Amino acid sequence: MDRRSFIKLTAVSGTSAALTACGSPDNELIRFVPDEDIYPGIAIWKPAVCAACAAGCGLTVRVMDADADVVRDGQAGVVRIYAAKKLEGAPEHPVNRGGLCARGQAAIQITYHPDRITRPLRRTGARGSGQYEAVSWDDALAELVGRLDALEQAGRQSALAMVTRARTGHRAALVARFLAGFGAPGAVVHEPLGEEVLRRANALSFGYDQMPTFDLPNARFVLGLGADFLGTWSSPVSQALGYGQMRQGRPGIRGLFVQVEARMSQTGANADRWLPARPGTEGFLALGLAHVLMAEGLRPADAAGRAGALVDGWEAGLADYAPDRVAEMTGIPPGRVEALARELAAMAPAVVVIGGAPLAQTNGLFNALAVNALNALLGSVGTSGGVFFTPRLDLAAAAPGLAGAPSPAPSLERLVRDMLDGGAVPDVLLVDGANPVFSAPAAWRAREAIEAVPYVVSFGSFLDETAAHADLILPDHSFLESWSEAVPEAGSLEAVAGAALPVMLPLYDTRATPDVLLEIGRRLARPLALPWDTFDALLAETFEALPQTGAFDPWSTAQETGYWTGPLPAALAVPASLPAADPVAPTEPAFDGDPEEFRFHFQPYASSTFLDGSLTHLPWLQEMPDPLSSAMWSSWVEINPATAAGLGIGQGDVVEVASAHGTLQTAAMITPGIAPDLLAMPMGQGHTTFTRYATGRGANPMAIVAPLTEPTTGALAWAATRVRIARVGGPDGRLILFGGALREHDEEPRR
Amino acid sequence: MTTLLPRSAFARACLVAVLGLAGCTGCRLLEANVPAPLEGPLLPGQTGGVFTTGHPTLASAVSAFFGVRPEPEQPFEFPHNIHVGQDIGCTEYCHETVLEGPVAGLPSVRTCLSCHRTVATNRPRIRQITNMFESGRDFAWQRVYGYAAEAHVRFNHAPHVLAEIECATCHGDVGAQRVAQRNVDLTMGFCVNCHNERQAPVDCMTCHF
Amino acid sequence: MPRWGMAVDLDRCNGCGACVTACHAENNISTVGPDQASRGRAKHWLRVERYWEGEFPDVRLRFRPVMCQHCDSAPCEPVCPTYASHHTEDGLNAQVYNRCIGTRYCANACPYSVRFFDFFNPSWDRPLQLQLNPDVSLREVGVMEKCTFCVQRIKASTVQAKAEERAIEDGEVQPACAQACPAKAMVFGDLEDPESAVSRLSRSSRGSALLEDRGTRPAVTYLSRQSE
Repeated sequence: MDRRSFIKLTAVSGTSAALTACGSPDNELIRFVPDEDIYPGIAIWKPAVCAACAAGCGLTVRVMDADADVVRDGQAGVVRIYAAKKLEGAPEHPVNRGGLCARGQAAIQITYHPDRITRPLRRTGARGSGQYEAVSWDDALAELVGRLDALEQAGRQSALAMVTRARTGHRAALVARFLAGFGAPGAVVHEPLGEEVLRRANALSFGYDQMPTFDLPNARFVLGLGADFLGTWSSPVSQALGYGQMRQGRPGIRGLFVQVEARMSQTGANADRWLPARPGTEGFLALGLAHVLMAEGLRPADAAGRAGALVDGWEAGLADYAPDRVAEMTGIPPGRVEALARELAAMAPAVVVIGGAPLAQTNGLFNALAVNALNALLGSVGTSGGVFFTPRLDLAAAAPGLAGAPSPAPSLERLVRDMLDGGAVPDVLLVDGANPVFSAPAAWRAREAIEAVPYVVSFGSFLDETAAHADLILPDHSFLESWSEAVPEAGSLEAVAGAALPVMLPLYDTRATPDVLLEIGRRLARPLALPWDTFDALLAETFEALPQTGAFDPWSTAQETGYWTGPLPAALAVPASLPAADPVAPTEPAFDGDPEEFRFHFQPYASSTFLDGSLTHLPWLQEMPDPLSSAMWSSWVEINPATAAGLGIGQGDVVEVASAHGTLQTAAMITPGIAPDLLAMPMGQGHTTFTRYATGRGANPMAIVAPLTEPTTGALAWAATRVRIARVGGPDGRLILFGGALREHDEEPRR
Repeated sequence: MTTLLPRSAFARACLVAVLGLAGCTGCRLLEANVPAPLEGPLLPGQTGGVFTTGHPTLASAVSAFFGVRPEPEQPFEFPHNIHVGQDIGCTEYCHETVLEGPVAGLPSVRTCLSCHRTVATNRPRIRQITNMFESGRDFAWQRVYGYAAEAHVRFNHAPHVLAEIECATCHGDVGAQRVAQRNVDLTMGFCVNCHNERQAPVDCMTCHF
Repeated sequence: MPRWGMAVDLDRCNGCGACVTACHAENNISTVGPDQASRGRAKHWLRVERYWEGEFPDVRLRFRPVMCQHCDSAPCEPVCPTYASHHTEDGLNAQVYNRCIGTRYCANACPYSVRFFDFFNPSWDRPLQLQLNPDVSLREVGVMEKCTFCVQRIKASTVQAKAEERAIEDGEVQPACAQACPAKAMVFGDLEDPESAVSRLSRSSRGSALLEDRGTRPAVTYLSRQSE
């Protein structure tokens, strides 16, 4: 053996013994036999798929030996295990190319969280009391199967409901197939930052019911309307990578970026020009720009094709949207509108990005359709530097066993309304990865609805607000302990399918939820006869249907790298499908709350660290300073300095923010990057139950959000609430900043 | 030992005070400002507890300060000489990772049984370890050679193995011992002397980072 | 002998903070909790500074990731009584934890505020400690800590390259921050090699050092964010 070539690029550890149970004399230590052969000090890198958000970035995970504390047969001791140590981006993955955002880095703490549920639990005390007893998987599954068999017997299969988070991939497909096989309605998807409006607009304009992908590396001009695409929106790592290349990746060429939003986001901070527009008027701005382009002959009206035709008045040249009129509506001066339009035409390729608050309005669909039409007018759809749609693997085509869609699922709002007002209460509710009691507006009364359900089962790993109502908890593995997978809908110009082996053995007595569903399917009195024994059998089937693009077949490639990418044959791709649609009239946004009493617009926004609150329990993310304010372990409401001065509010003061639907108290954060009539608040804090790190910390903006929806999709218009604000008291230490005052010493170099 | 104590009572009192202070700064007992754990009641199956670099007792903090490490007491009398006598090299089965990585490692009972599943199975010791394995118990070996955590030594075997330094140079003639003895005092001076002789780097960051 | 340095392109950086969390994950930086954080004891070896200018609506905000600059003429080195803070031949400002006696004068002297003191023994609620990186020391109470340019990665690559009888390749050593950065804004490498990526970027006309006028001669070059 040639030592030189075998010495690996690895650790230089020396004191791993010191990392074991500190203090207990070593000769009293009980050590158990490891479950696999462990080679100390040598790092192994394994592929995985990140599960912190829906982008589906590829990971490579550093795995090394560690001593875990275990209890076996009542005896406490340690056992050597292979433990994931660090998550890195997979270097060649088409979505993230080796990069990984802060949330992805912190996701490793999910596996090792001290408050993770380690075994199936059955409720013993009242709901919400936190009293549970441990049960075996056999007993737990027997109990649930018994309930489902009872539904089957009574012919009430439709009384099974399931609420999940939004996922694009095999797990969602399996859940759908499970529910369809049982005869239950499809899963209700609850994703607070779900962007259903944009997906619907893309389906109407271009035939793709999915999030868009932007070819930023080749763009010369990017106009962003409210989308935090470098921070939290859609596929942020892929977009940040593209942005870096747009700026400095082409010798002699630097793309320009203009952001329009009423509150400066982390993304907006990077713009060459930042323009505030009134909330909900972004669609009018898009029409104003289109008007100038058409009126000045910079682009022919028919260039916008179907997307343009979907906007009422487009073919007539949008005479009602001359710059003066648009200036009145949006607050952006007419000269700026004209200049912007001319730049869009001159600096090709140009692309417009809309997302976030502008779509979370009652007129969100119109705003999105207007931008789609503008992009089409610019010739940016499907062309270099423009907007694309990632070819998507049609899972039912690759694995025919998945075919057979369940009956369409209502929105969460509809489900809750039917339950509370219509008496249509499901007998059994399954909850997988969603926390509607926390992240749905309190006005929707999701808590009341769940309380009415006789039997609630949670697959979660943590006791959050929704799981606290569960009668039975069947804890899932963390994503590092299970087959992780995703079929990204955005972030890559070529199709991607991710699937990776578990990176480590399960730490606890948990089971992968997809496997649990398959097991339930087998145990039912009328078995579902699903053709897969395990979840990875399903993954193997779809991957084996993919074409080979590398040196090895797709399934072997996935075992090695964690993903497959390449051109997707038409038979396996979700096809474009243009629904019949009537033109949509430009619509003004509607806001909840009397403007006299509630003088401010309220914009909750996705937190850079917690997104919608699903990651608030991770200590690294709580302590990570917020990019714009350096705040840690806090929540706050952002307020314009002049507005604050007028109300006598100082930095850090405790303020009460009230809408027509609720009130909350939080700290005031004075920032110049917000319109005087807007208040903004990050989502994520304000958990009443969500592990030791998040419980009882901060305030939850969703508690006061009005239940307005976008009428066509039923999506929550979470940026349509009006509020009032009043000072309650001086700073009480709840706002913790890492940095000094908001204004730092300017260090601009001399050049 | 008594000759090392100072003569006067005052000096002795000072010594005790200094020792106490030294121990207490390393120990958690006097740390009123260790962040209090935020935990609440535990669910069935959760074990709680905190991992920290703080010493749990004053005694362990003081011992660490003075670099005192008691002689290791192994859970099992493994005879190195018998195995080395069978021409089994250090790096063949039990400490093989030292050829590929920084750490030599202490073998699991799985490693023993890779041979002893069939070799010498009639011996009582072998039956003992077979029973251990079958009941899921492993050896809780105590490190013979190592460094205190506070020394922050990040020792990497790889460059030393590459330089073809015999294991016995630093670990003594383990092949002549039954249970491994701490024969070589791995002080910093020991390391630096050899580094100087062989013109290996001696700046702090070579080992202490 | 290489001389390690970094170039940070502020035109690519978008302030996301991935580097901050990656540094925590790689270097066993303990979370101090809200009470200690409110006392200014959070240990962000790498932080993203924010520079706000102007009044609404003409507001500008710029980001700058700041870590130990590994200054050639480091003010923290001459003030350390025990040589715990000193300069290595390969250009790093070394922090030797076992020499440190916690006078904290180095933090006092550092103009970049990148040095952090362990006011108490760090703790991890079990089993979070399973994530700890065995290549990196666990610091105890009373010592200073700061960015090391991921010296553990530098050492590992050095040993590997020596074993394979070759030089370290450009781009082979990547500190955790540079590896995580989605925008590829941070580049690390050997400043002694004029053809390395970091050397070429450091020669950029957009390049400058932070607090250049203090005479610290940092090993980090910031490429300024451009405007229209």
